[in-house]
Amino acid sequence: MTLMERMRVLSEGTKYDSCNQSAVCHAFGPDGRCIQLYKTLMTNACSGECTYCPNRCGRDALRATLSPEEIVRITWSFYRRNTIEGLFLSSGVIGDAERTAEQQLEVARLLRSQGFTGYIHIRVMPGTPKYLLEQIADCANKFGVNAETTSSVNYSEICPNFDYQSDVLQRLQWTRDLIKIKRREAGFGGRVIGANDTQFVVGALQESDREIIGTVDSFMDRYELRRPYFMSFDPVPSTPLENNDPSPLWREVRLYQTSYLLKDYGLRASDLDPVLDDNGFLFDADPKMLLASCSPEMFPVDINSAGRDALLRVPGIGPVGADRIIRSRPVSSEKELSRMGVVLARARPFIEINGKKQTNLFSFAGVGA
Amino acid sequence: MIVAFRENVEGVLLACKELIDHPDIVLISAKDRDEVKAKMEFSGPDDITLLGFRGAADTTGIVRVLFGRQAQKIFRRDPDIEGYISLVLRHRSSRPVELVRFLCSCRDNAELLYSGKGAIAKKYYDIMRDVSRSYHRLCMFARPFPVNGVLSVKVDSPHRIGDLFCRWLARKNPDLPVSVIEGDIAWIGNGGHVGLEHFAKIPSSSAGSLEFSSKIDEVDDMWDIYYDSQVIHKRRNKKHAKQLQPKESASMSRMSERDRYKVERGIVSCTLDNFIPEKEV
Repeated sequence: MTLMERMRVLSEGTKYDSCNQSAVCHAFGPDGRCIQLYKTLMTNACSGECTYCPNRCGRDALRATLSPEEIVRITWSFYRRNTIEGLFLSSGVIGDAERTAEQQLEVARLLRSQGFTGYIHIRVMPGTPKYLLEQIADCANKFGVNAETTSSVNYSEICPNFDYQSDVLQRLQWTRDLIKIKRREAGFGGRVIGANDTQFVVGALQESDREIIGTVDSFMDRYELRRPYFMSFDPVPSTPLENNDPSPLWREVRLYQTSYLLKDYGLRASDLDPVLDDNGFLFDADPKMLLASCSPEMFPVDINSAGRDALLRVPGIGPVGADRIIRSRPVSSEKELSRMGVVLARARPFIEINGKKQTNLFSFAGVGA
Repeated sequence: MIVAFRENVEGVLLACKELIDHPDIVLISAKDRDEVKAKMEFSGPDDITLLGFRGAADTTGIVRVLFGRQAQKIFRRDPDIEGYISLVLRHRSSRPVELVRFLCSCRDNAELLYSGKGAIAKKYYDIMRDVSRSYHRLCMFARPFPVNGVLSVKVDSPHRIGDLFCRWLARKNPDLPVSVIEGDIAWIGNGGHVGLEHFAKIPSSSAGSLEFSSKIDEVDDMWDIYYDSQVIHKRRNKKHAKQLQPKESASMSRMSERDRYKVERGIVSCTLDNFIPEKEV
């Protein structure tokens, strides 16, 4: 295969990890700008037997590999043309986790030695040795291991070659510790060190959203996880899970929304119980709107006197909007709120400005307050 | 008294200080001394106080004097006050004298600059965001070509942000000289590699050797393959993709134009090859 063909095959291998469903994978730079990444696998010839994965060994599929030098060359070509500002490097397992990490490290080292100042995100394999993680931390802006699921039992079912406790959770902890050390190092060569992150495959097993949300919440506490990624399960032919149903895409979206409620709104997993059904699954509705609808006694919130926590409970008001409101008080009109980034269509039923609030069906009918 | 200030951050801040001390002064702004002369031909030069045309002022100190402690910014990623002024001055319809008066009206309350409360505060906040957005778009969608060892790109922004973008491009590629051509000016970054100053401004006619290539090369093809490989048709979120690849990006480079076209129309999975019997392919 030509270089272009291998590049296409290996880039296609990463596309299902895309979190934004737009086109090319994005990240956010330290200045808040959205940056494009070159996202690729080093190889899709994987020695792992993960039951959901198109790259699992033994599956009849087109296999390709890019050498570290080739990845470096492609990255530079895109980088010089300003189509990307960084590299996201993942891989199939090349024999074992150690050998894979060595190859990944080689890419990062080559790039840095050639003066590459862009963003490098390395997705390391479960079981990567600590000494290699330390060396990767010297070159990469971000690195982490995928948790894939919520428990050892589930993990052994979908990733039989690895151990959840030692190969995943232990690595998440080392990653957290290394990030702390790197952040303490003054300047760190001007590079930004990203927070711990991981990915879950949603819907490959029967695990409920309650379990996933609980795991994310505990990872945020234990491993200072900042950003969980969710990948909807899509059955791949010639894999053990080929006959399973695909996970609906909306579930992935709702899980992202709940993860923001944990990350940015200070909610705990137990606070989200009202938005789950009896079996612990999310409804296909905005979880924040559902939470608000479940607690009508908390509304309307007075925009000019409510605390930050009360403002954050209002659908359509996020952390930035709440801060803006507090700093800009007194707020006299909806127009001002709109200028501050509040989504009025959502917020209107839940707020009150200077005693004025939207009439709802109950008050119109003279029921309740 | 007439005070002429230079249309840069220093000039604006010095003019603010002067206006607060002497509220009766008449302000005029100019890009350089020649422009001051041209504007003041009707008056004797002794009547004018010039601010910001020589030496470097302690802008941070002046900001502290004018606004007290740095305001907590209303949006996490908004620039600081000096950055705010710098961006506003780059806007195509920037009016420096009005800006000075607005800044003075925000004395000791820098949050007003970012709050958007009131018509004039909103106007300046929007102006700042407008320039900031244009700059971010350039960083995202301008596609420089290596020409004679220089990474060159022609930009066509309504605002004066060529130098800003050139500095960014130079930081991103510290091992290469970069050139950003904006109208009749060429900004050169990392000029040390070609015997110029580190950051230089030259007439674009002097940068004539930097011919711009419009043909599609290997990197273009490679990018197309990569871009197409990332799309999952059934998961496409067109609205989100449009936000990340806005309409304005199409005019910034041919590559961005093609990417924007794909956002609008999708990626064709059917080519002429599909109509040729397999044995002929």
